Amino acid sequence: MKKYNILYASILLFVFSFTFAQKDEGIINFERVVHYPKIIARLPYLSQEEKDRVKLTWGSDDEWKEKMKLVFSPTKSLYTYLNDQGESEDGTWAWRNDELVITRDFEKEKKTEIIEMLGKTYIVDDSLHTPKWKVMNQIKDVAGYICMKAVTEDTLKKQKITAWFAGDIPVSAVPERYFGLPGVILELDINEGDVVITATKVEFKKLDKELILPKTKGKKIKDADYDALLRNHLKDSIKSQRNPYWAIRY
Amino acid sequence: MPILLACGATFAQNPTRINIKGTAIDSSNAAMPFATVMLLTPKDSTLVNFGRTDEKGAFEFKNVKNLSYLLKISSVGYLPFQEEIKPSDKAINELGNLKLKPIAKELMEVVIRTARAPLSIKGDTIEYNAASFKVPPGSTVEDLLRKLPGVQIDQEGNIKAQGQDVKKVTVDGKQFFGSDPKLATKNLPAEAITKIQVFNHKTEQSKITGIDDGKKEKTMNLELKESFKKGGFGKATVGAGTDQRAEFKGNYNKFDAKQQFAFIGNMNNTNQGGISWDDYQDFKGSSAFNWGDDADFGFSSGRRFVYFGDEDEGVSISPGGGNRNRGFSSNGSAGLNYNYDTKKTKFTSSYYYNQVRSLMDSYAFRRTFLQNNESFDTKDTSNRTSFNGNHRVNLRFQKEIDSLNTLIVISNSRFTDANDTYGSNQYFYRNNLFRSGTEIDNNGGKNSFGTVNSVIFRHKFKKKGRSFAISAGYNMNQGDANARQVSLNYFLNATSVNDAIRNIRQLNTTNSTINLYKGSLLFVEPLNKKFFLETFYNTSLQSSKVNRDVDSIYIKNEKEAYSIVNELSRNYLNEITYNRVGTSLRYSSKGLNLSGGLAWQHYNLKGEFINNKLTQQKGVVSRNFSAFAPNVSLNYDLKNNRYLYAEYNVGVQEPNIRDLQPIVDNSNPRYISEGNPDLLPQVTKTLSGGFNKFDPATFINLYINFNFNSFTNQVVYNQTVDDNFITRTKPVNISGGWSAGPYLGFGFPLKKTKATMNVNSSAFYSKNLSYINGILNNTNNDNYNVGVRLDLTPLDWFTFYANANFGISNTKYSINSEQNQQVFNNNFGGDMNIKFPKGIYFNTKFNYRVYKNERFGFDQKIPLMNMSVYRVVGKAQKAEIRFTAYDVFKRNLGITQSANQNFVSQERVQTLSRYFMLSFTYNMRGVKAQIRKRNSWD
Repeated sequence: MKKYNILYASILLFVFSFTFAQKDEGIINFERVVHYPKIIARLPYLSQEEKDRVKLTWGSDDEWKEKMKLVFSPTKSLYTYLNDQGESEDGTWAWRNDELVITRDFEKEKKTEIIEMLGKTYIVDDSLHTPKWKVMNQIKDVAGYICMKAVTEDTLKKQKITAWFAGDIPVSAVPERYFGLPGVILELDINEGDVVITATKVEFKKLDKELILPKTKGKKIKDADYDALLRNHLKDSIKSQRNPYWAIRY
Repeated sequence: MPILLACGATFAQNPTRINIKGTAIDSSNAAMPFATVMLLTPKDSTLVNFGRTDEKGAFEFKNVKNLSYLLKISSVGYLPFQEEIKPSDKAINELGNLKLKPIAKELMEVVIRTARAPLSIKGDTIEYNAASFKVPPGSTVEDLLRKLPGVQIDQEGNIKAQGQDVKKVTVDGKQFFGSDPKLATKNLPAEAITKIQVFNHKTEQSKITGIDDGKKEKTMNLELKESFKKGGFGKATVGAGTDQRAEFKGNYNKFDAKQQFAFIGNMNNTNQGGISWDDYQDFKGSSAFNWGDDADFGFSSGRRFVYFGDEDEGVSISPGGGNRNRGFSSNGSAGLNYNYDTKKTKFTSSYYYNQVRSLMDSYAFRRTFLQNNESFDTKDTSNRTSFNGNHRVNLRFQKEIDSLNTLIVISNSRFTDANDTYGSNQYFYRNNLFRSGTEIDNNGGKNSFGTVNSVIFRHKFKKKGRSFAISAGYNMNQGDANARQVSLNYFLNATSVNDAIRNIRQLNTTNSTINLYKGSLLFVEPLNKKFFLETFYNTSLQSSKVNRDVDSIYIKNEKEAYSIVNELSRNYLNEITYNRVGTSLRYSSKGLNLSGGLAWQHYNLKGEFINNKLTQQKGVVSRNFSAFAPNVSLNYDLKNNRYLYAEYNVGVQEPNIRDLQPIVDNSNPRYISEGNPDLLPQVTKTLSGGFNKFDPATFINLYINFNFNSFTNQVVYNQTVDDNFITRTKPVNISGGWSAGPYLGFGFPLKKTKATMNVNSSAFYSKNLSYINGILNNTNNDNYNVGVRLDLTPLDWFTFYANANFGISNTKYSINSEQNQQVFNNNFGGDMNIKFPKGIYFNTKFNYRVYKNERFGFDQKIPLMNMSVYRVVGKAQKAEIRFTAYDVFKRNLGITQSANQNFVSQERVQTLSRYFMLSFTYNMRGVKAQIRKRNSWD
């Protein structure tokens, strides 16, 4: 815990001391691509034959795309869907998005996350916890920004997480439920390509109301409760030979 | 600062907390402002702390633990600077100037900016993502390498990287066919490669000796794409059993990133026909399910369906059909499938042949109800041997011409060769007195060819949501059938010799050709973001041409001779022109889909027929119908996995043109049919709806739905049965029939992951109307079903699935209430799986069926049990040996019972009963025993 506190302190430090070039406030659009055949291939109870069947049938047409946005300022960030509903490409079919708003308050070291999962809406209200990031020796360009690679592990879902963060945008804002790198994550790869979230547009501008958390009803829980819910669900689903990921975000 | 100094003075040893400071400069010694500075643990690069350089390139970490760190500085355009720093003995560890090297311009511009490839620098290895460099399709790795910065290739194909010769090329870290590096680069397709790594490798010499001779070779490693790792797999099962039972089943798949090839084959004499869903999916691969193949545009309900053709008579290869539990059948099938599949172009072609040779020996009892509480009974002993072979060719091509235009071409055809022999002895009784009989000895053959073709073109306009689609189709069905019909009918109460025996010896030859041309248009206009106007138009012309010759067979000079029977031979030409135009307004927003629309449809039916080949007298039927058909649908995602849906639809079905022709068909002397030119189209109003809920946290689910149909101008067949039990039928319209059926299903865990209970109940009510001997008969059905299922999955090595179903069906006949039926149909089943040590498994399925009909004193209890013991063998667990016992109690009697419009029937078919089989399976991907039943949706 102590280590994390130092980390927060230094995040705050650099957040306050280096507000330069106006590159610390704006909106980033993301495309979140889910590859279900890859996820299904990870289910331990399926035989190789069943996994291959899914791969042969759906492998060449396996991209489920969602448009997301990340709104950030030097002190806060909010991650949610780009549009208030899911849409087919031509816009003629629309569906309801599951509730998902993930906010970070770097100043107060707090977070509020509205997450619909397991058939309920939960509001996770807790202080910020940082995963153990490892910074790697690779760089690449995402949306016009040179990003460095950092990796961590989701110990609950047993996922390898790869993040590409831009040192040029000195805010610890991230897509999904992560936190704690010296720059905005512009690409997030969950479990070697099972889900890839990539920035498509980075726009710097003064924000007005975009960072305000919408009012939503839900059950208030802490990170520990969230983890317990997930742990039980994963355990029960795998045991019952059901795919757990239809009911939770991968 | 004074505090820090004080700390330094207090501790003589290394201070526990220190400040680390330094300055980042570039190669021209200029300060580097705003660079990211990170402290990592040297062990695994875990991020401990981070900061940023100021305007002068300086940074300082304050009050950090005095440990070893990896200091990393990164800035755009520079290679990340990395240096290990040791614990310091001073309170402030001053690192001085730290110089960052710029990234080579070509790497920066070509690899990072243009190709957007990640660049890794691992010591002396530079790696980049080859997939990012675009080369034309069909290029080799060599062509790809030419594009890579820092790599040169000379005329002979020798490779240089960073100015040095590449001595060795490996593929996935392994040597590729010998030591010539050009072999791999000249032969492997560029598309197969995902990464190229260039690094210095110890020489072979030093690897063998273990002594580092200091010499390094430039080595290049090509990493293959995951999906391109070409694959092939298959499995086969052979089995042999008692009663000369045998089975063979096999499939093989081969694929790479773009192509899939599959073979499937099946042969058995154990009544296993058809193609299972899993086998179908393995066979068709990426072309197994296609959306948007329905070329007949119409109302859209908000749900998407995958469209399959009919199973037996259809032209497309479809899953299903499986187990035939009646009679004996030998089955054989074989198929080949090829898919070419890229994002823009998809092509699939398959050929599938299947044949069934079946044998049915049956005994049937039927009681037919007439007016005035009268009835008569039929006892029929029959045997049928039949053969049916189908060749199917399915082709599908889909091309995304550009982001706005898509073309789909589908062509499915079937060629069928069939023949059968049918013999029957029928006895007719009234009041238990034998009154008449029929002996039949028929045989015949049929060749038919059917083809269904469609072209669909879809265009999206620039305006979001506006789209247009046009389709054209051509279907054809051609059949040549000949049948030899020999029957002897005798009537005991006949008054003259002529009437007492009717002898039929006929040869029927029928040639028919049906052509169907059709076209459809669809236009979608967005009114705003939530409302869409969908307008469609369908048109079709169907023409049927039938020529039927009936010859009577007689013996002349001890030889068979034929003469045409003019009054039974005929030919006709029918044409149906159909037009429909409709429009609907659809609302779609946040999971609520609502749509309402109206269509107007028009039929023109024209028939020309020659009823008697001698007189050549032409008859004409010409009718026009039109009708409005509304459609309303609702689909609502109510949040938290709850869904509500409902639909109201009016379907208009034109009369079958053969039913319209006033022709008497007396080819079956017991069953004479006649058409009715006054028929009107049947209108079916359907109202359906339901609610689903699934709670993924508690695993509780609930399904409720209902269905209601009402018929106006329903086409029913009036029956007139005379004293000789000869039935004459004629189609008429009748209104007032309906059917309704609610369903409720509820599932919940008794103990999560260990025991699950499912309860379902349904009811079905129907009212069917028809005229029997001129009197309106109202057949009322009401059926009730309750089912309980208990899934016990307590252990990894033991599962038990139990189910019980209770059904009652009541049938009431208004013309003959004495014959009202009450049938109880109860079913109890169990399925148990046990895993024993040493890879031995046991499965048993038990089914106990109770069938009770008190009116006929019928009380049947049939226990059926199958058992199998199997063992997964071999180190790689790829093979399985299985011993199976089917129908252990030898009680599979092939009994069916049904209560219909005005008759009840019981049938017993000799069918496959007890046998034992030993089978062997080899699966290249390993055999996995299934202890738990799989959930169907995964």
